[in-house]
Amino acid sequence: MVHALEEIHRLLRPAGSLIEVHPALEVPSVEIRSNGELLFSEDDPGFDYEDDLRHAEAAVATVVGRGVFAIDERRRLELRTHASSVKELRDHWAVAGAYDPEEKEETLVRRQDEMYARAKAVLDRSPGAEIAYVEPATMSRLTPSPSVPK
Amino acid sequence: MTIRTDPEGNETDALFELVELEGREVLEIGCGDGRLTWRYADRAAHVTAIEPFADSIARAQKRLSEAPNERIEFRNITFEGFAAASDADVFDVALLSWSLC
Repeated sequence: MVHALEEIHRLLRPAGSLIEVHPALEVPSVEIRSNGELLFSEDDPGFDYEDDLRHAEAAVATVVGRGVFAIDERRRLELRTHASSVKELRDHWAVAGAYDPEEKEETLVRRQDEMYARAKAVLDRSPGAEIAYVEPATMSRLTPSPSVPK
Repeated sequence: MTIRTDPEGNETDALFELVELEGREVLEIGCGDGRLTWRYADRAAHVTAIEPFADSIARAQKRLSEAPNERIEFRNITFEGFAAASDADVFDVALLSWSLC
């Protein structure tokens, strides 16, 4: 990751910017709303990439520490993925995460299945309600240091 | 209904607040299926969007063939491979979106 960030520094023009977005160190959640009213909200028990996030943060901290980039600004945001059914949402994530070589622990998978079963029960008795997966994230703007040789 | 990602525009709002894209040469690393690319590309001069996973980039390229946009170039390549073949000082903005971890 550090090498990749150093390569990005090389590719950027001196007055350029790196925009880096990654999930925040907070557990994503599943929400169900109907006409704005929150009917269901639970953390995703399948969240198991905290170590990956810490590595990403460490890589950014390393290149900032070496003076390759400086962090100018940060924004916190929530990325919401909306679906009309639990199946639609889970199918979407199955495709989106198909490249992830790591298999989730059986316990996490079971707890996740149970959470989605509870969500489905709420959706089934709430016509018109919508389910959303909510991912807290951090977006940063980093400026390349002109003094680092390319 | 189909899947809708960020209809609230939280991600693009933050992006547009943080960086000026008008007329800029943009490199998006790990563009996936182009979900975000489509939402900002019209502001940029040109976007080179790279993605190592063939299935994802195939979806992006299929959509591009259905709705041509001369500003966008999707490429199925690793960042290492792309960087090794690229000159220095080429891009105004690099966007590393959800791909550092």
